[in-house]
Amino acid sequence: MKREILIDPITRLEGHGKIDIFLNDKGDVERAYLQIPELRGFEKFAEGRPAEDMPQITSRICGVCPTAHHMAATKALDDLYRVDPPPAAKKVRELVYNLFFVEDHALHFFFLGGPDFVVGPTAPKAERNILGVLGKVGLEVGKEVIGLRKEIRDLIILAAGKVIHPVFGLPGGISKPIKKEDQQKYIAGAEHAVKFAEFSLQVFNDIVLKNKQYVDWILSDTYTHKTYYMGMVDKNNKINFYDGDIRVVDPSGKEYVKFKPQDYHKHVAEHVEPWSYIKFCYLKGIGWKGFEDGPDSGVYAVAPLARLNASDGMATPKAQAAYEQFYKTLGGKPVHHTLANHWARLIEMLYAAERCVELAKDPEIVSPNVRTIPKEIPVEGIGIVEAPRGTLFHHYKTDERGVVTAANLIVATQNNAARIAMSVDKAARGVIKDGKVDDGLLNMVEMGFRAYDPCHGCATHALPGQMPLMVRIFDKNHRMLKELRRD
Amino acid sequence: MKTLVLGLGNDILADDAVGILTARALKDEEKGQTEIIESALHGLALLELFIGFDRAIIIDAIQTGQYEPGTVIELEPADLGAVTAPSPHYSGLPEMLHIASELDLHFPQEIKIFALEVEDPYSIGGEMTVSAQKGMIKLKEMVKKQLRIWSEPD
Repeated sequence: MKREILIDPITRLEGHGKIDIFLNDKGDVERAYLQIPELRGFEKFAEGRPAEDMPQITSRICGVCPTAHHMAATKALDDLYRVDPPPAAKKVRELVYNLFFVEDHALHFFFLGGPDFVVGPTAPKAERNILGVLGKVGLEVGKEVIGLRKEIRDLIILAAGKVIHPVFGLPGGISKPIKKEDQQKYIAGAEHAVKFAEFSLQVFNDIVLKNKQYVDWILSDTYTHKTYYMGMVDKNNKINFYDGDIRVVDPSGKEYVKFKPQDYHKHVAEHVEPWSYIKFCYLKGIGWKGFEDGPDSGVYAVAPLARLNASDGMATPKAQAAYEQFYKTLGGKPVHHTLANHWARLIEMLYAAERCVELAKDPEIVSPNVRTIPKEIPVEGIGIVEAPRGTLFHHYKTDERGVVTAANLIVATQNNAARIAMSVDKAARGVIKDGKVDDGLLNMVEMGFRAYDPCHGCATHALPGQMPLMVRIFDKNHRMLKELRRD
Repeated sequence: MKTLVLGLGNDILADDAVGILTARALKDEEKGQTEIIESALHGLALLELFIGFDRAIIIDAIQTGQYEPGTVIELEPADLGAVTAPSPHYSGLPEMLHIASELDLHFPQEIKIFALEVEDPYSIGGEMTVSAQKGMIKLKEMVKKQLRIWSEPD
């Protein structure tokens, strides 16, 4: 039975990304706008619900990074009830969180971002997918990616219950300790992950860095923006995904500010544009100066490249060596080339895997003491983690019973929204000339935002990296010349 | 023969919950050989869930605008190639099957997709609409019927 169902994308605009490209007299790009759907109304939905439900409810925001929302919400509950979890609880949380980073970064590199580089941005459309990647790196690698992801997900389930909506974090700790007899499984899984991350970096080195054309693309002005960068750091200014202060560096790489999560609202503000649902975050101290590069514009970036730029290094030895090679190869700190996010993601994967080994081997990881019972009356709580796609803020206010009266969530893609918009505009200007637009060029424009691994809020993160997308080209009189769809 | 029933969707997005809720209801009624899983994952990320099964039924919400809400649409994986992203959950399913065969994974040889045409898969915190609630009964019956067919000896 062959059934053909056609759907007008207009009726499904909520699930579609849209790029509108306006051309000038010469057929060059005047301005390109990216619109991505955003999940609206979630904060309202949270109101009136018990704060303890937030780790479960917020993990339903996104089918891609539920663990990040779960963890940010759990930390916000610690803060809400003014309770400090026992060290073992913090370590188990961090272990689970770093395992999640490994599997998520692996998925992105091989399935989503990989086709751009491993297969090549100008390869025929039919090959720019995971099958093309496997054709290049070998089918065995495909089995390895799937096998590793399964192993890691089983470990997450062992500690945290369901991997999709973890039943794990509680104010003041976690629901259950890791059993002594399971410790070896975590060590073995983490060591496997380290090997896989090293292999992935080798793939990047062999296929991307040894190809001059790819390196030229990474370094090209089309994919470059000199903005501020934000990321979470430990007390030594090394990257940490689970806990720490938020550090921002300026476009020259100098520290601009370092603040506690509780002070985020003093530093981050949101700007509204008439053409987009997304609110664009900017640095309050600098101000909104439009979609501009440079130290006078408050635009900043988050996600892997930003985290590397905002830190002084990685806290584990192999990842630190990879970090040093990254900056040596790309001309020193900070690196402003958006496409370098793919490389930075692999360095982070190596760090996450090494950190898992450290935590899994820590004798305290199997301590049964994993909960401090909250006793304070709740008022307000803020929790921040680094999600794979960048800094994630959860902020709740409650009444004295712990019922949410107000919630504010800033997700990674919102932090990145201004720079993503700039990247799409600049990529369009860079690759579309004389009114000539085809699928290959469209892909080059998309690469400008795919490098950020943007998450489109409402579970519309269609895999593999293929957000249904509509591109419309307009002439100088705003008459539509062409419409391209990629569903 | 191991059989999987996979309910897809998001249980806080009104009618998008129908796949999840149907799976949950089936869990109470179908004990035994069939494994019933709920998931909010999409496309290729679902691949791991299918490994080790011989047959599978996918249940989900769909919005084509071409059928009355509450209609159950029966699809084969091969149909999805022609579909213009009816639901983000499906993107990548044909590719996923292709990968499974390339990598020689233990993957279901037979996959049925039962999708319920819905009115509102977007309202956060919204209740399921009446048409989806009614449709869910039909959806559940169709899954049970298919499981019965599969359980009969050839």
